[in-house]
Amino acid sequence: MLNYIIRRIVIAIFLLIGIGIVSFIVIKLPPGDFASRYQQYLLDRGSPMEEAQRAAQNMREQMGLDQPMAVQFFTWVKGMVTEGKFGYSFAYRKDVGELVAERAPKTILLALLCHLISTVVGVGLGIFVAPRKYGFWDNFWSVISFIFTSVPRFSIAIIIMYLVVIVFKGPSLSSFFSPEYVVAPWSWDRIVDMFKHIWPVLIIVGLGGVARNMRVMRANLLDVLGVQYVQTARAKGLKESTVIMKHAVPNALHTIVAYQGTVLPYMMQGEIEAAIVLGLPTMGPLFYESLVNQDIYISGSLLLLYGALILAGNLLADIFLAVLDPRIRYS
Amino acid sequence: MTDEKTNLAEVSQALAKQEVNESYFQLVWRRFRRSTASVVGALMVITLAMLAIFADFFSPTSLYEINLKASFIPPQSVHFVDHDGNFSLAPFVYNSVYTLNPKTFQVMWTEDESQKYPIHFFVQGSEYKILGFIPSSLHLYGVAEGGSIYILGTDKMGRDLWGKECEAGRISLTMSLFGAVISIAIGSVLGVASGYYGGTIDNVLQRFTEFVAAFPNLPLWMALAALVPKTADSFTVFIAMSLIFAMLSWTTLAREVRGKVLSLRATDFILAAKEMGASDARIIFRHLYPNTLSHIIVILTLTIPGVILAESFLSFLGIGITEPLISWGLLMRNTQDIQSLGQYQWILSPIAFIVLAVLGFNFLGDGLRDAADPYAAM
Repeated sequence: MLNYIIRRIVIAIFLLIGIGIVSFIVIKLPPGDFASRYQQYLLDRGSPMEEAQRAAQNMREQMGLDQPMAVQFFTWVKGMVTEGKFGYSFAYRKDVGELVAERAPKTILLALLCHLISTVVGVGLGIFVAPRKYGFWDNFWSVISFIFTSVPRFSIAIIIMYLVVIVFKGPSLSSFFSPEYVVAPWSWDRIVDMFKHIWPVLIIVGLGGVARNMRVMRANLLDVLGVQYVQTARAKGLKESTVIMKHAVPNALHTIVAYQGTVLPYMMQGEIEAAIVLGLPTMGPLFYESLVNQDIYISGSLLLLYGALILAGNLLADIFLAVLDPRIRYS
Repeated sequence: MTDEKTNLAEVSQALAKQEVNESYFQLVWRRFRRSTASVVGALMVITLAMLAIFADFFSPTSLYEINLKASFIPPQSVHFVDHDGNFSLAPFVYNSVYTLNPKTFQVMWTEDESQKYPIHFFVQGSEYKILGFIPSSLHLYGVAEGGSIYILGTDKMGRDLWGKECEAGRISLTMSLFGAVISIAIGSVLGVASGYYGGTIDNVLQRFTEFVAAFPNLPLWMALAALVPKTADSFTVFIAMSLIFAMLSWTTLAREVRGKVLSLRATDFILAAKEMGASDARIIFRHLYPNTLSHIIVILTLTIPGVILAESFLSFLGIGITEPLISWGLLMRNTQDIQSLGQYQWILSPIAFIVLAVLGFNFLGDGLRDAADPYAAM
């Protein structure tokens, strides 16, 4: 098993390098180099021509933009790994690393919360509907889940925002905390306040995940409920609830674990959509803004980070599954 | 003795006649018809396609007319009873007239109840060309000169939202179809090659597929779409966006087709073809492709909704389709501004079209998935 885990990690590292190369290509793809864009930026801001040119030339030398591509790639990677430097953002006038350090924890927190909700609720609903196959509640939840995977998530965000801001005159949703809690130390009230601000994202992202988890759990549980040992358990005279919870569910759970690798990117994308519309300060809006401003080091770094997060999620799911399920073939 | 023989022959003939002969597609159609959801899905898709193709006919005014005086008119309600309480069987509308709120100076639209405009059906109106070449001026409905009818209201440019939403389906649907077809082409070629040749080719292609699948779709789509120059002409934007969507959507199909080909490769009819000296190309195109085709069509149908959702989000953000092209997401661009959304809620209506399209293709794809293998037990 250790062998298997090590192999997964090695593959993940190679994939990460690949993702890094693609992100770097995205950084380099727009016409002109970063320095010339910086120069343009300074000119738009009204700096005199010579000064802008000098600043651009400075930057070119500083960042080694006149070096060959391969060297530039290695400097970029080295900067990230050794010093946490992701490149310079001219719109924010600081290193992208600082921006990311500010926002990544919030993004991950949101993603984990959504994940937790969608897994617990989704699996619970799956267990609830599977024994009632084609009954009222099964059909009801099937229809609901179909709808929640079909409505574009950005439009759910718009509608929630409309209801909160215009109809109920509620607080602005585009921050994690109300002003009085921003710098306050963690306390119960602060957590409650945070949930008051992030619930739309949890709903938008979580419900889609709930729908998917529910469908997978339902299908698995139905498969398991049809096999012989379940029949045997029933024949022994066990209560139906014991049969389901003790015998069927544990054997249906590992597919859910394997499925998390598929759900994670879906959640991540939902988080991006919802956060951009609501303006919640996570990585999503920063990414969008950087794309519009062509602040390419932010775009490239965040692209890499999204890839890395999803990769890490997949890796964890694989490893967890290997530990959980002895039937996994390690080849 | 002889009697018995002829009898037997007759019976077996009759039996043979009975057993004949539903073709594969008849079986598929029979099973497809049985599922309500898939028929409903197919109807939804066909309706949207018809609305898109004949958008000029369904829209009461010209699709390309801009009237800034009619900016953000709320949906006009269709009446059967006028304000005096008189009932008329023919539906009619009142014109929207524009007043200023004396306190806030906001523009308000109210119904001008002095003049009724009955709705006429199949009226002559502005000229357009069906499918781009057949000239016509027939519209499904309209009102007499001087009146206006905006059943879903108007957008910022004063264009009828209903007509625009029908028209937007052209881009949203064709782009997703085009993108899905390209992705299917890539996926099926790589899948068949991977499964048929096996060995090193399979290994390399599988690692490559894994690599592409590991990518977070939406962020990469956004990054690539933002690179499409704003000044490019419509056709280039359309092709570029379709390619961007296609580039990341083929991995599921490649994997599934590979699995299918792997199992087919060992079947007798492929072995027989090989023994008879058929070339690889013949085996792939004559024997393997037709047997994976039903599968490919199913995945095609299920790829489309993902592209529709992604396209509408990108266009909504302003990094996807740009004017003069129009798509459902682009029509919702004004909703980004919470102020305008607060005043003009009806600009949310494109959501209905998106949901209809996504649901329709999902239902259709699910139904096709069950129907594509008519020999399996239900």
